[in-house]
Amino acid sequence: MVDNRDLRLRIAQMVKDSGEGHIPSSFSIVDVIEVLYQSYVRSDPANPESSTRDFFILSKGHGASALYAVLEKHGFITSMDISRYSKIGGILGGHPDSTRVPGAEASTGSLGHGFPMSVGIALGLKIQERENRVYCLVGDGECQEGTIWEAANIASNRSLGNLTTIVDWNGSAAQLMPVDDLPGKWRAFGWDVREVDGHDIQSISGALDGSLDINRQKPLCIIAHTIKGKGVSFIEGHGRWHHRVPNPAEWSAIEKELA
Amino acid sequence: MTISMREAFAETMLMTGRIDPNLVVLVGDISHGILQPFADENPSRYFNIGICEPATVSIAAGLSKVGLVPVVHTIAPFLIERSFEQIKLDFGYQQLGVNLISVGSTFDYAQLGCSHHCYSDASLIAHLPGSRVFIPGSNQEFISLFDQAYRDPVINYFRLTENPHAVDLSEYSIEIGKAINVRHGLDLTLVTTGSMLGPVSEAADILEGENISTEVIHYPTFKPFDAESLVRSLEKTRHLVVIEELSSSDGLFNRALAASFGLLDAAPRQLAIEGFIHGYGSVKDLREDAGLSVELIVQASKETINK
Repeated sequence: MVDNRDLRLRIAQMVKDSGEGHIPSSFSIVDVIEVLYQSYVRSDPANPESSTRDFFILSKGHGASALYAVLEKHGFITSMDISRYSKIGGILGGHPDSTRVPGAEASTGSLGHGFPMSVGIALGLKIQERENRVYCLVGDGECQEGTIWEAANIASNRSLGNLTTIVDWNGSAAQLMPVDDLPGKWRAFGWDVREVDGHDIQSISGALDGSLDINRQKPLCIIAHTIKGKGVSFIEGHGRWHHRVPNPAEWSAIEKELA
Repeated sequence: MTISMREAFAETMLMTGRIDPNLVVLVGDISHGILQPFADENPSRYFNIGICEPATVSIAAGLSKVGLVPVVHTIAPFLIERSFEQIKLDFGYQQLGVNLISVGSTFDYAQLGCSHHCYSDASLIAHLPGSRVFIPGSNQEFISLFDQAYRDPVINYFRLTENPHAVDLSEYSIEIGKAINVRHGLDLTLVTTGSMLGPVSEAADILEGENISTEVIHYPTFKPFDAESLVRSLEKTRHLVVIEELSSSDGLFNRALAASFGLLDAAPRQLAIEGFIHGYGSVKDLREDAGLSVELIVQASKETINK
């Protein structure tokens, strides 16, 4: 049985109610984000701009509804915010806006922006001799962007051991470019690489424990093997559900599978 | 001894770095020799980061996010045109501050060809809400504008030149968003920016010699545009020629035109860059190719006032 069924249902509900969103991409990453906020990202919802906070950057911004569901669960945003998702007057939309959403550290959506920015945050914290940690989640499709590799190169050459990147390897990229050895690529760029089951809490936590080592010199890359749409049988995989909004019958089926 | 504008930039980083512990300088494998004094004094705040301009710009946004004041410095087309979306989203949309400082704009690298030319950078950055664009034509202008602007949490673009003008502006106060009325006249207003103040001043000398009383307004700040100074001038002269080493699309001329409604007795003229420059040579050669020579400024001025 899949974990985080409540978060998945919240994601699907957001998309159903607003008519906008990427359910499969969000289901792919929601377990990783929840583990991060449950156990690794030190951040206070009452003071989300605290100078001592850890940073989480969702570089694949189209998985925003997963981030929103987790931010709501941990008290950064409210159910009222969720009810206005993608609606006029709301603060939440199909891609996150860091100037409006408490806890959203970067405005992302165009791929290849959040990750190099997270490298800059990690570099800045190192300059300032602060111990905050930086976590960034990128998609495997996003790893086709040039800025990912420009920044990955810089991060290892600047020994940014305070930076952990999780790659959501759900197979999207291989549909276009089947030569897709992501662990080998990140290793070649000088990163410490671990592979996990991106839907297994223990597996994710085991790898993320590596981010807690304050003496770490190499940046850490966690390749999360994930399934797009994980948790609802008819949404899983690649195809028409990428940007689809459930109709009433499909919503009932989603509720049933996630009950 | 006169130093180059790039040396003035390096000196400014050194002096600013001594009083501001938040200043961080990122360069794309350029100017690292002259920036070595800053690097020696601030080894944790200087990075010759690599040949990867778009990521460097985004990394600067991360520095800004944690309260540092980034300077990103490299060659204009790579810093602005290649990295434009990173600038737009990572700083503009996220309301973070940066100081982008280019060299090699227009055709400063005249012998290197089209890949190193850059005419559209000023208008590109000007399109971003809240941005400021500075086109200093002398060291004094750069130093003064940087000192006033660099801490503000906005996009500041400083477009350095390898060919500064030699006009003495020491009696003027250089302020953000303020034009300088360099020369007073009654028949015609010449508007310019950056290094073109040199050829424009030469042209004004020739025009004066032919009894054409010529006013020259110089714009160290491209955006925000000082319309008031231009309006005051055109109320006297009622004739306008704009000379700019920028793309003819959306340059200084467009801003001047918007400010001159109802104030002109004849059609205004724009001397600017109309197409790609394919040739090589000196900056003077390419200015002539682009229609920006002293002789062509004089000619266009006379045509505008029908003399």
